[in-house]
Amino acid sequence: MDKRIEFTLNGKKVFVVTDPLNRLLDVIREHFGLTAAKEGCSEGECGACSVLLNGHLVTSCIIPMGAVDGQNVETLEGVRETELGKIIVDAYADGGAVQCGFCIPGMVMATYYLLMNNHNPTEEECRVGISGNICRCTGYDLIIKSMMLAAERARRILWA
Amino acid sequence: MGVNSYLPKTLKEALEIRKDHDTIILAGGSDLMVGAFRATGVTPEFDKDVVIIRNLPELKGIKKNEKGELEIGALTTSREIASNPDVPWILRQAAGKMGAVGLRNSATIGGNIANASPKGDTPGPEYLLDARVVVESLDRGEREIPVNEFVLKLKTVAIEKDEIITKIVLPYGDDDFDNFFYHKIGRRYANAISKLTLCSAIKFDGDVITDFRVATTACGVKTNRSRDVEKILIGKKRYEIPSLIDEVNAQYEALLTPRAMPEYRKYSTKCMISDFLMKVSNNTAEKFNE
Amino acid sequence: MSDKKNNFEYEEFVESFNPRDDETPLCGVETAIHRGDAYQKATGAQKYVADLKFPDMIYARMIRAQVVRGKIKKITVPALPKGYYFITEKDIPEGGKNCLNMIASDWKCFAAGEVRFKGETIGLLCGPNREQLFELEKQIKIEYIEEEAATTIEEGLACKGGAFVNDNNIHCQLKLEMGDNVDEIFKTAPHVFEDTIETGYQEHLYLETNGMIVTKENNKYILYGSLQCPFYVRKSTYTLLNIPIEDVVVRQISTGGAFGGKEHFPDILAGPLLVAEHKIGKPIKLIFQREEDIEYSVKRHPSKIVFKTATDDEGNILAMDSIVYYNVGGYLASSYVVLQRGCFHIMGCYKFPSARTRGYGVATNCYPSCAFRGFGAPQAIFAIETHMSHLAKHFGIEPLQYKKKYLIKQGDTTITNGKVVEEVQCPKMIEQLTEASDYYRKAKEYGYGSYKGIGIAFYNHGGAFTGNGESAIIKGRVRLTKNANGTVDIFCGQTEMGQGINTALRKIAAVTLGIPMSKVNFNAPDTSIVPDSGPTAASRSTMVPGYLIEKAAIEMKERWNSEDSFSVERQYQHPEGYPWDQATFQGYAYLGYGWGCAIVEVEVDKRTSEVHIKGVWSSHDVGNCIDKRIVHGQVNGGIAQGIGWASTELIQNINGKFKEKSMSDYIVPTSMDIPEQKVFFANSPYEWGPYGAKGMGELVFNGVGAAYIDALSRAINRDISKIPVPSEYVCDHVLHGTNSCLIEEKK
Repeated sequence: MDKRIEFTLNGKKVFVVTDPLNRLLDVIREHFGLTAAKEGCSEGECGACSVLLNGHLVTSCIIPMGAVDGQNVETLEGVRETELGKIIVDAYADGGAVQCGFCIPGMVMATYYLLMNNHNPTEEECRVGISGNICRCTGYDLIIKSMMLAAERARRILWA
Repeated sequence: MGVNSYLPKTLKEALEIRKDHDTIILAGGSDLMVGAFRATGVTPEFDKDVVIIRNLPELKGIKKNEKGELEIGALTTSREIASNPDVPWILRQAAGKMGAVGLRNSATIGGNIANASPKGDTPGPEYLLDARVVVESLDRGEREIPVNEFVLKLKTVAIEKDEIITKIVLPYGDDDFDNFFYHKIGRRYANAISKLTLCSAIKFDGDVITDFRVATTACGVKTNRSRDVEKILIGKKRYEIPSLIDEVNAQYEALLTPRAMPEYRKYSTKCMISDFLMKVSNNTAEKFNE
Repeated sequence: MSDKKNNFEYEEFVESFNPRDDETPLCGVETAIHRGDAYQKATGAQKYVADLKFPDMIYARMIRAQVVRGKIKKITVPALPKGYYFITEKDIPEGGKNCLNMIASDWKCFAAGEVRFKGETIGLLCGPNREQLFELEKQIKIEYIEEEAATTIEEGLACKGGAFVNDNNIHCQLKLEMGDNVDEIFKTAPHVFEDTIETGYQEHLYLETNGMIVTKENNKYILYGSLQCPFYVRKSTYTLLNIPIEDVVVRQISTGGAFGGKEHFPDILAGPLLVAEHKIGKPIKLIFQREEDIEYSVKRHPSKIVFKTATDDEGNILAMDSIVYYNVGGYLASSYVVLQRGCFHIMGCYKFPSARTRGYGVATNCYPSCAFRGFGAPQAIFAIETHMSHLAKHFGIEPLQYKKKYLIKQGDTTITNGKVVEEVQCPKMIEQLTEASDYYRKAKEYGYGSYKGIGIAFYNHGGAFTGNGESAIIKGRVRLTKNANGTVDIFCGQTEMGQGINTALRKIAAVTLGIPMSKVNFNAPDTSIVPDSGPTAASRSTMVPGYLIEKAAIEMKERWNSEDSFSVERQYQHPEGYPWDQATFQGYAYLGYGWGCAIVEVEVDKRTSEVHIKGVWSSHDVGNCIDKRIVHGQVNGGIAQGIGWASTELIQNINGKFKEKSMSDYIVPTSMDIPEQKVFFANSPYEWGPYGAKGMGELVFNGVGAAYIDALSRAINRDISKIPVPSEYVCDHVLHGTNSCLIEEKK
């Protein structure tokens, strides 16, 4: 049974009339056309569909719309416009973090979530930060280095 | 086609829905949404109406009750549990090693016990610490059930149709034991379901063992614990441990009923118990051991 | 800011990179620059097939056989609502052929009558509403006469249930010999050992599942797909509709990982879609769910390789014989070429006085196996490396010392009786890596059975197509066009799937022409626009099309100032003096090998048999790095995949059905499983490659699995002859394994 679900999406109040059991991933991709989040595994395992729900990283493939009612959702389309988001995107490009790119929107979201909560992460903390994001191309090393690069630049520019 | 879903804003509303309708409770979604998934762009399939409670404020948070016991709201996420210093170390370990970052922001302690999966992460420490599950209904108010009685069998818990799990109560904490052991064997070092997890704790009065506990998950249809096995050590002296390890292991192994990899799971359980107890016996164990 | 120390070397990392577009030509090809696709992908703006929508588009679900072997008795389709279609073999128009032209044309587009494996395509259910498709799918009833199936190499060879390919279930075979007759040597040799090495299936697990959209434009069929080889798709499918090959147009869409899994496999989507489009005439989108993609897609061939090796009393190898079995599955498709490459790599980086190998592609009732990074070579290299370690241990010789004696050198004869053309850099790699990893100390200190172990493996990979295949079969062409505004367009069929080829090819052109990268365009290929430069496979894209681009750019530079807009085209020519006979497999199989060495260090938890990787060191000869950071990323990724293959990536085919079907079942490494890799190079430039570069995409996968198993075997003092080895198998080896698996033949 469809219901009207209201929530904040990338800072804007929006609504959608949908079955509350429909997945947040389907709604942001198909109803709102925000296709940065990808469907990788459909079971909350690979992290390609990562978004922020009330400021916390979640896999949108296992979030029913009913759980989003009245809440705050941020996708990469919103995060990439923030100062920290831009620094992370730059660092990923500079650091060679990107290969096929399918996991990368989720990686950027996980990096953003980590750096929001930890301005000076160690390599180990970066590894934990993306441990729910499966990448099959990079072996992770250059993603980790790019995360460290983003953190260093954010400390110099944003958090000095 | 399609079921109803309810989006209560308060616990009271949720309890009313539970009273009036036959429903499935959807908390964090990390288990049920995976099971209900059919395909991209297709509504997940549930065989009953669904009440979505992820954001109920009354069921979130961690606090001490008047008896000094820790009460964890049923919708408290694994991240919140793992990062709260008031939570016993062993439960923080379990919550912190569940899945990965994103999952830990969705999975709830209530959901983790309600799905009654033998591979769940937080039930092991709950069994070890004699946790109680608190459920509530409009008609009968609150009732408390020891966790080992709450889980009846695979995927079945002792909850009535009109009830909701509201909190988990932990009567024991880090100060109640001298040494703890927690080790999760995942299929990889993050983002993994448990292949076998061992939880153990031991307490001494001087050199006398006053309490000993051991619980295993992913090694049968329910979490394994037996007071009879634990009693083998209780009342014994520290130096007697080595001579009793074989008996503990033999009796404990008899409880284990893994469906797959039986030898691996039994052998690893035995090795971990022996390793922990030998360190305790030699006085080389830390307070918290992995 | 907290005072936590992190070991990130900021300056060094930033300085190893040049973001100035206009300086690219000055920096040369090696210096790292921005990848052309980095921003699009990191901002989430890049579109993949699943992100595309067309007006009036409908959706498709693939309906597949659910028996492992049998005959289709009856298909009952429910009454379909208006706008819904069930497309089967019956919808192939007159004159069309129900087959897909991979390398062989035996794989049927739709199963008709016979079912050879679970998951064979029966039909395509198409319609506008995905929920409705799901409901209709449940109502399609297919009745079968089930037959006894053969699903393992052994069952295939035994023709369980009766042979279904030829009269012996052998899809393909070959035999190679060098030196003296090995049978004669075995008769007189002091020792003859037998050793059986096995490897399992491996799932590609590209993050983006397979997907394709078909539509029609000006009476041509347009296929938009996540794929490696647009020209392969075209060739494979046009015969279904009996139309001119140009009437099928394939446009590659940004591909979210492939690794060989989208080399021939996209044909399985394209064929039925083309037939559906012929009937329906609307855009149709087919995206696999993850579970479908794991259960019903090609995988790396499982292998069983039996060595028979003659030695003297000191362990010196006199002759080596081997029988190579690959589990090909129900259809041959590309597997004969996979088997050939396996056999060509069976001596790894070694030279023995005499050798023989016989390869067999075994037909089984399993989902067909196909290309996966390495294309048959990794199984052979894993086997020879592991066999060498077993021999070393048997004779009490430290494995590196033992392997070192047999390392092949420039001018040495290969198993195809050609010569190694280039200087082999393995000795330099040994120096680099033993020092960086402290190998000699650790190897001695850890010994066997200390639960700590260090292991080493050597490996190579022949670049591009075998022998003269590039000029005789592929005949790859590229075109460069100078536009009046001074920009240059690259026209070739190479596809970007994450490996960085878009950046690499543009960089070769930019550096050669001396113009900024931003002035060189290279769009994802469209078969109606670009010349066929051959597949994006076989580690050939930089080595061969890249070389052609370099040559074309050299000519373009000469004419640059005198002409406003013009094109230069180049076609590949095989260098003179390196003969190859494809009928007998004799001669120079590869002119340029990539070479590699990997060292892995592990520590095993005695209690739980969990394996912790403590370090990974690798060195490779890739000729030259066209962008060091791209190459570094390829090394990291190949090594992670190689370790996964040997350790946790278990996918079991039980009686014809894959047991692991999801990303929580099929365990690939996360960021927590492998520590930061130490990456070295020992490059030896290749005469016929752009700036000396040769193939490297597959090389970096080929050997690390053997290094991991060498380290693990030493740690637990058990010979490990079969991969993968998740922790429960490690435990099984500890409890029941052997520390000497070689079987000596009784004289």
